[in-house]
Amino acid sequence: MDPAQIVNRVPEGEVPKLRLEHITYRYSIGTPFEKRALDDVSLDIRRGRVTGLIGHTGSGKSTLVQLLNGLSKPETGRVLLDGEDIWREPKEIGKIRFRVGLVMQYPEYQLFEETVRADIAFGPKNMKLSDEEIKTRVSEAAAFAGVAEELLDKSPFDLSGGQKRRVAIAGVMAMRPEVLVLDEPAAGLDPQGRHAIFTGIREYNRLTGSTVLIVSHSMEDMAQYCDDVVVMSHAKILMAGTRDQVFARAEELEAVGLDIPLITRMTLLLIRGGMPLPSGIYTLEAAEEALSVAFGLPPVPPDKEDEGKGGTRSW
Amino acid sequence: MEDSRSGNSSQRQKNTLIQVSDLSFAYTGEDGNPIPVLSHVNLTVREGEYIVILGHNGSGKSTLAKLLNLVVDDYTYAEGHIYMSGLGEEMRDILSEDMTEEDVLKLRRQVGMVFQNPDNQLVATIVEEDVAFGPENLGVPQAELRKRVDEALATVGMTEYAGHEPHRLSGGQKQRVAIAGIIAMKPRCMIFDESTAMLDPLGRREVIGTMEKLNREEGITVLSITHYMDEAARADRVVVLSDGEIILDGTPGEVFAEGEVLRKAGLDLPQCTAAAQYLQNRGVRLEGSLNDPESCAEAILKAWNMRNTNTQPGVR
Repeated sequence: MDPAQIVNRVPEGEVPKLRLEHITYRYSIGTPFEKRALDDVSLDIRRGRVTGLIGHTGSGKSTLVQLLNGLSKPETGRVLLDGEDIWREPKEIGKIRFRVGLVMQYPEYQLFEETVRADIAFGPKNMKLSDEEIKTRVSEAAAFAGVAEELLDKSPFDLSGGQKRRVAIAGVMAMRPEVLVLDEPAAGLDPQGRHAIFTGIREYNRLTGSTVLIVSHSMEDMAQYCDDVVVMSHAKILMAGTRDQVFARAEELEAVGLDIPLITRMTLLLIRGGMPLPSGIYTLEAAEEALSVAFGLPPVPPDKEDEGKGGTRSW
Repeated sequence: MEDSRSGNSSQRQKNTLIQVSDLSFAYTGEDGNPIPVLSHVNLTVREGEYIVILGHNGSGKSTLAKLLNLVVDDYTYAEGHIYMSGLGEEMRDILSEDMTEEDVLKLRRQVGMVFQNPDNQLVATIVEEDVAFGPENLGVPQAELRKRVDEALATVGMTEYAGHEPHRLSGGQKQRVAIAGIIAMKPRCMIFDESTAMLDPLGRREVIGTMEKLNREEGITVLSITHYMDEAARADRVVVLSDGEIILDGTPGEVFAEGEVLRKAGLDLPQCTAAAQYLQNRGVRLEGSLNDPESCAEAILKAWNMRNTNTQPGVR
């Protein structure tokens, strides 16, 4: 296909980890409820990066995610993993699911083994790995997902909601997928719980070099934890790129009714009120720096830094 | 923390609806030992208030809510009192032994609860039947029932979906139907136990809008349990629980001023408030509320304009 049509296209010479080419997908075809979930979507997901996928319910995010590991088959178009069509050998699609690991929404409802350890080991066992290897994978994944060692022999049903969530994420990480896809991994968790989950995901990305795709409603979380951001709206990609590129267009995001980070909203209001601030501020740190400059405050000396920053840090 | 608000009630004009007094609670662990959840909680809820209860996961906020409606399973380790008005002549301790089954039903009629998961709360196959379910069980006569269901659906903005199947609705719409089912029972107070946690931003806005409408237009007392700070910014009053204790209780402005306490309790300030406080800490004077992006921007702009007029009289 014409590469110019691809959104978030990789730089010359790089093979994208995942590429979607002209994907169309409809639900309930031929019924009054027919719905176009993806409309000629072409997109690259870049290797080794954490990409955030954001959009309203019904924008096509979840459909897109299910195409990536072969849970659904596109009506038209291709999904390329390392440059190869995942449906080239339809009988081999099961193998793709080990390479592209999917953590569904509220995965804690899918735990079923007697111990946490057995639950995390379920995937690696299915991959027919040796016992030794399974053991390594379980402790490694538990560490990434923040599941404490002493929980491993407990029943998953005795854990808190947040702990169960981590066990479920560890279960997918234990398969060490090349692409880890998570649908709303932090939904319903408090700020500390969200931070813990996202930090673990970033660690997994950093230490394994795997590609990560996070689906979320929270612009604030995307701004904090993702390298690239893809915004979907009405079955199409509205915009995509590095988070700098995407948040520089914050006003457009707001115009389609997405919840931009509160700090971005505040700085947009300040700019409209005449303050000379750069557009597209999406972290507290950047806001503090820009506000200091606008108010002509001297830079904070490193040893005084803590005093100046008396307010609560955003994670 | 002492319950200072109930002590000097002279300036308080509104009637007390719920008074939680020295309430402690523990669940029974597998080994039979208590697992403490709430410790010496004092809280007074007045008629018509809109209170947000904040707290980290496991802080005890959901347990507190469930106790107010007597929907926990095991009261072995319940201590203290929850006084409730409207269950007789005087305030009635709902934890006392003399609560009859009928009293409990009466309690649940006046204190309605909406839970987190929109998929677990709807029982009927048609929206309006679902809304009718509660009042029908209360024995509301048919003509009155029709009226209540119609009114309740109108209040939550779901009239046009009356004949729909609930499973085809969005999460926010399902929650609004669940709310309609409760307001059709004419409660005085509604407790929302993380009712927006599983919703997308649009669904959250719908449900929060409905909660505010119930409070302002119908006069229903609202207790909303959440860990979204932007929801707290809109409340009359914010109560923060941490490890089973109330650590802050005040207006959103008062609570947000305690950034460090909130952080230690596992919560975050809204980013805009944190940025405004940063400026204050660096000596910039900001006036007015700093609870949301709009008020923060207003205060910062004012300070910035003033500074420019003062320091650069010659310019412009």
